[in-house]
Amino acid sequence: MEIKPNETKLISAFFVFFLMPGMQIGVGVLGFERIIAKEAGQDAWISIIISGVTINILVWMCYKMLGRGTQTLDLVAIHHDLFGKWAGNAFNSLFIIYFISITIIIVRTYLEVIQVWMFPGVNILMLLSIILILVYSFVVGGFRVITGLCLIGLIITSPLILLNYFPLKHAHFENLGPVLDHSFLEIMKACKKMTLNYLGFELLLVYYPFIKKREHSQKWAHFGVLFTMAVYLNSFIVSIAYYHQDQLKDVIWATLTLWKIADLPFIERFEYIGVSLWLFMVLPNICLGIWAASRTAKRAFGVRQRKLLVMILLVILFACIFLDNRIKIDLFNTISSHIGFYIIYVYLPLLFLWQMIVYKLRGHKS
Amino acid sequence: MKFFKGKRETDVAAFQEAPKDFHDLQRKLKASHDFHTFQFPDEEGYTISYFNSLVNDQKLQEHILAVIKNQPMRSLQRLKGDIPMEASKVTSDIVIIQRMVMAGSVMIQTKKADGSCLLIPCVHSVKRQTSIPESEYTVAGPKEAFVESLDTNLNLIRNRLPTPELQAREFRVGSISQTKLVVLYLDGIVNQQMVETVMQRIADIDYDTIVDISFVGQMITDNRNSMFPQLIDTERPDHLATVLSEGKIGIMLDGSPHALVGPNTIISFFSSFEDYLQIWNLGTSFRLIRLFAVLFSIFSSSLYVAVITYHYQVIPTDLLPILISSRGVIPFPPILEAIVLEGTIELLREAAVRLPAKVGSTIGIVGGIVIGTAAVEAGFVSNVLLMLVALAALASFTVPIYQISNTIRLIRFPFLLAAQLYGLFGLVICSAFILSHLLKLTSLGSPYLEPLYPMRFHDFKDSLIRLPFSKQKKRPQFLRTEDGIRIRKKDEARRSQKDIDE
Repeated sequence: MEIKPNETKLISAFFVFFLMPGMQIGVGVLGFERIIAKEAGQDAWISIIISGVTINILVWMCYKMLGRGTQTLDLVAIHHDLFGKWAGNAFNSLFIIYFISITIIIVRTYLEVIQVWMFPGVNILMLLSIILILVYSFVVGGFRVITGLCLIGLIITSPLILLNYFPLKHAHFENLGPVLDHSFLEIMKACKKMTLNYLGFELLLVYYPFIKKREHSQKWAHFGVLFTMAVYLNSFIVSIAYYHQDQLKDVIWATLTLWKIADLPFIERFEYIGVSLWLFMVLPNICLGIWAASRTAKRAFGVRQRKLLVMILLVILFACIFLDNRIKIDLFNTISSHIGFYIIYVYLPLLFLWQMIVYKLRGHKS
Repeated sequence: MKFFKGKRETDVAAFQEAPKDFHDLQRKLKASHDFHTFQFPDEEGYTISYFNSLVNDQKLQEHILAVIKNQPMRSLQRLKGDIPMEASKVTSDIVIIQRMVMAGSVMIQTKKADGSCLLIPCVHSVKRQTSIPESEYTVAGPKEAFVESLDTNLNLIRNRLPTPELQAREFRVGSISQTKLVVLYLDGIVNQQMVETVMQRIADIDYDTIVDISFVGQMITDNRNSMFPQLIDTERPDHLATVLSEGKIGIMLDGSPHALVGPNTIISFFSSFEDYLQIWNLGTSFRLIRLFAVLFSIFSSSLYVAVITYHYQVIPTDLLPILISSRGVIPFPPILEAIVLEGTIELLREAAVRLPAKVGSTIGIVGGIVIGTAAVEAGFVSNVLLMLVALAALASFTVPIYQISNTIRLIRFPFLLAAQLYGLFGLVICSAFILSHLLKLTSLGSPYLEPLYPMRFHDFKDSLIRLPFSKQKKRPQFLRTEDGIRIRKKDEARRSQKDIDE
């Protein structure tokens, strides 16, 4: 089983900076404010920072794990190495399911945004098929094309940050006080809620072999996570400064609602443009998720990635059609974010420790 | 299919069985009435044969017949020495004989029937004078364009790049046409691997008649189904000379007044050569205007359809009355209105291109003014859309490279349909589809969207913007040149250190 991708398929270390937010920032940023404000009110920004820091620690762990082996490792190789082929593949399957399920959440939530904000009566099946065909055309291009999408998606959507100017005109920064009005437990609860918005950095374990100078990419990975954190922090502070925290608890899509107040001489109701353009922020999520799932499956079971890609797209299609009301979506959302939480905060550190112990016993060079 | 494999020079005319022997060849040649054969100077003398239509009469008289007449009979080898014409040859190889005779050589034989003959090139070819570039006209700068003759074109380039590093590799393409093709590059600058790729692809060309360089372009590009051109057709020798010294590869074909240039990025299709003839800040501004014009031309009518059909809330209140008064009486949905109008513009364009220039201007007047006004007055289309579509058409004319302007013409229609389907969201989906295509596209193996992706900061200096020549110290990095440095001299004493009044 080949582990080294062709030289021409590699990306330079610098692009890890774009891959991190490319997977982390997505639909979540449009409405995460309410969820964390429910737990920690105006102090939720502390949770954003705490989660960001822990994620950086986890990224560091991932790099340690990947760098420890004698050859370039990825998740599948680590699993096979530590647990043997069969048990390893069981864990691999877990990850595949996890990647697919976070992709399903992303697709489904974005479709919901479109339903709510643009086309209430839209035919979901048709819209979904078009989006999945679009995803297919990106993913068949390979990892390089998806990386390009992350970069260009970020460039295209970055002007939207200028829209913060309008809410900031009416900002009340005293809404941020009193600082530390919430208990440690409440802040930690908000941290847990925040996890879902940081998910995606663990894809590093899959695309690590595709990075050209892997040793130099670590700093870019950390910068990427910090960038994500800055974006969330910015959105939250603008929201909390514009809304009062009690009001914020009732606004489902806080960031999106803020776009509504933008008022230009030639455009009103900016959210129509914003929601549409946000596709360029969501597409990298979907593509990366599907790519990672199919890549892991290919590495674990040795099936052609093209076939797997089509299968995964079909799974997503059916899952999204099945998740047709708010209750089901919420349930699925909760379950998946739990799985995500335990995978990154429990499983990854355990794997890290286990690998350390095993390598100590085997007497590998550390 | 095996008849049509005329790649190498040796299987010349492989589309037919090569003539078995000399008599067979002679029989074939004599079947044409413009093939002349006669004995000279008398019945016992040489047999001279040639295609009347290919041979220069004056040269034949002065340099060949005159020499033969004044001398006694000699062997062909001696005769070759007597006639001062370059590249003449004594041979009995049927294949060579056929090729040279078909290329305009005079064939001389003695009575000795050993099959060998003397071939003297004596070509008469019709050449056009170099003229002013038409499709890439610039106000400033040189005013000469390539012509159909490959020799003239090579001469134009060699005059501009007088260096032995400029190398020309010759090929013959087309199993019937056997057209001469030349790959040009500057050795020591160009990436050899790219040259290999180009030559390999040219060697793989398999077609009977190659008439124009655009045939070659379609056959050697990376993605042959892409609407986006990957190689630039240029008719300007100055353009070709400039890009050759950047490290690009040029391809020229005999009989085609254009040269192909590659590899390219998408930006190079929107940069006119005139950008370099102006001071950099003007050049940059006009380049940006052009890019904006392209975006406007692609999106304007589809934005109109999207907004009017689905998102009328986006229109500010002050603007709404204007739109209502203009669209109120129109009986059609916006998409139909837009398609009718876009279709009309395309019709006008196509008609204007096909007609001779003098009639073309009439078409503009009839189409633009009469039909436009009538359509609005009749209530078929709205004033606003007419304005938008006309502006879009105008904007699309700013594109300096002809091939990509056709792409932009056509690409608007998928956007229109997408706008009708999902409004603004449809536009974004359609753009994403095009982005996925562009991300996958390469031009002779180098990525099409460079310098944006993969990101090369240095190449931004000549992309959307054009910085002054003094800042362009290196050659474009996507060309992976062997010698990447353009300016070797160090900056003389930094100017910023100069204080006021010193």
